[in-house]
Amino acid sequence: MSDRLVDILVTSFMRILIPGIKVTIPLTLLSFLLSLVIGLLLALVQVANIKGLKEFARFYIWIFRGTPLIVQLFIIFFGLPSIGITLDAFPAAVLAFGMNLGAYNAEVFRSAIMAIPKGQLEAAYMIGLNYPQAMARVILPQSFPVAFPNLFNNLISLLKDTSLAASITVIELFTSAQQIAARTYEPFALYCEAALIYLIFSTALTWLQNWIEKKLVWKSGENDKDKDADCGCGRNKAMVG
Amino acid sequence: MLEVKNIHKSFSKSPVLRGIDFKVEKGEVVAVIGPSGSGKTTLLRCISFLEKADEGEIVFDEYTHDMVHISKRDIKKVRMNMGFVFQSFNLFSNMTVYDNVMEGLVTARKMDRCEARKKTFEVLEKVGMLDKTKNYPGELSGGQQQRVAIARAIAPDPKVILFDEPTSALDPELTGEVLDVMKKLAKEGTTMVVVTHEMGFARDVASRVVFMENGVVVEEGKAKELFENPKEERTRQFLSAMSKHE
Repeated sequence: MSDRLVDILVTSFMRILIPGIKVTIPLTLLSFLLSLVIGLLLALVQVANIKGLKEFARFYIWIFRGTPLIVQLFIIFFGLPSIGITLDAFPAAVLAFGMNLGAYNAEVFRSAIMAIPKGQLEAAYMIGLNYPQAMARVILPQSFPVAFPNLFNNLISLLKDTSLAASITVIELFTSAQQIAARTYEPFALYCEAALIYLIFSTALTWLQNWIEKKLVWKSGENDKDKDADCGCGRNKAMVG
Repeated sequence: MLEVKNIHKSFSKSPVLRGIDFKVEKGEVVAVIGPSGSGKTTLLRCISFLEKADEGEIVFDEYTHDMVHISKRDIKKVRMNMGFVFQSFNLFSNMTVYDNVMEGLVTARKMDRCEARKKTFEVLEKVGMLDKTKNYPGELSGGQQQRVAIARAIAPDPKVILFDEPTSALDPELTGEVLDVMKKLAKEGTTMVVVTHEMGFARDVASRVVFMENGVVVEEGKAKELFENPKEERTRQFLSAMSKHE
C-alpha cells in the first residue's frame, strides 16, 4: 500500500466515523424507536381483533412490506412536497425507515404474542384481570423476550439500510465515504473503510444483544429486593426467602 | 350456591356436553369423574366462561345468567368469585411466586398492597411454599408450581374453586403433596369442584361424586354410596376398571 493511500485512509477514518456517530447512529435509533411504536400498535390491534383497525394493520403491512424501501424514501422526501408536505432530509429518512421497519416489527411482535401459551391468558382472566390488564401484566412482558432476537436482527439490518439515506441528501456515514472517494479517486479503499466502520457498529450491537439476552431470563437473584418490605405486616424478612 | 342448567356445547359439530345440570352447595366438595372425553374439563371451562356454551344457564352468587348472552362485565363478576386451578398450572412465568399470588389481589381487586401481602403470605404458608416466595415458576417442581397455583386461586377468598385435573400433569411422586393441600382446603370447608382421575381423593375427600360419560351425567350421589353401591351398570364398569389401576 502506498504511503499516500495509507495517509488517505488514516485521515478519512475520523471523517467517516464522525458522521457515522453523529448521523447514522441517531438515524438508526430514532427510526428504530418509531418502528417499535408502530410495530407494537399494529400487532396489538391485530391480536385484539379490533374491527377496522385490524384491516388497517394488514393493509399497512401489505403496502410497506410489498414496496422497496428506497421507493418509499423517495416518495416521502421527493414526492410529498408536491402535495404540500415538505420535510427535511433527516426527518424524512426517520419517517421512511421507521414506517417501513414498523411493518416488519409488527409481525415480529404479533408472532411473539401468539407464541405465549393460551393458558397464560386464561389464568389471567381467572384471577380477575380484564384483557388490557392481562396484556400489560402477563402477555406482553412474556412476549418481549421472545420478540427480542428478531427485533435486534431488524435493528442491525436497519443500521446498514440507513446508508440508503445518502440518496436523499442526508450526510451520514456512507455519504461521507462517497464524497472522499470522489475527491481522492480511491473508491475501493474508501468503501472498504466505510464497510469496516459499519462492521464495528454492528459488532457492538451484537455484543449488546448478547448482554441483554442474558438479562431477559426470569431467574431469582441473590439481591432481589422485597418491594413491600416496609409494610410492617408482622412478617419478618427472613420469611421472604 | 353454584348451579348450571342444561349446558350444551359442541366443538365443530361434535357434541361434548349434552344437557348437563349441575349443582354445588356451599362447603361441598364435588368430584367429577369419568372416562377421557366425557366432557368433564369442558364442563368446568364452560362454567368459568373459558369456553362459551352453546346453551345453558348459570345461577351463581344469587344472580342468574344466560350462558350464551352474558356480558363481559358479568363474566368478570362471576370470575371474581371463582378460583380456577389448571392441569398445567399456568403460573405467570414473568412473575415470582409472591407476585403471582399478589396479582389477583392488587391488579384485579385493587387491594391495598400491605393487606394483599398479608394475605399472600397467609395462603403461601397454607400450601407450604413460604420458602420460595422469590422464585420464578420455572425454578419450581411441578408439585410446587401447582401448590402456588392453588395459593393464587384461594388468595381472593373465592366462593368456589374449580380444579381441572390438578394432578394429571404431575409425577406420581408429586401428586401427594398437591392432594394433601386440597384435602386441607376441603377440611376447612372450602367449596370445591374437582375434575379428577384420583379415585382415592374422590372417595375419601369429596362429599358428592358426579360420574359423567359422553357429555351427560350418568350418575351422581354421596361419595360413599356411589363408590360402594353404584346404581348404574356403566358406573360400576368404570369404577372397577379404575380400581384395577390403583
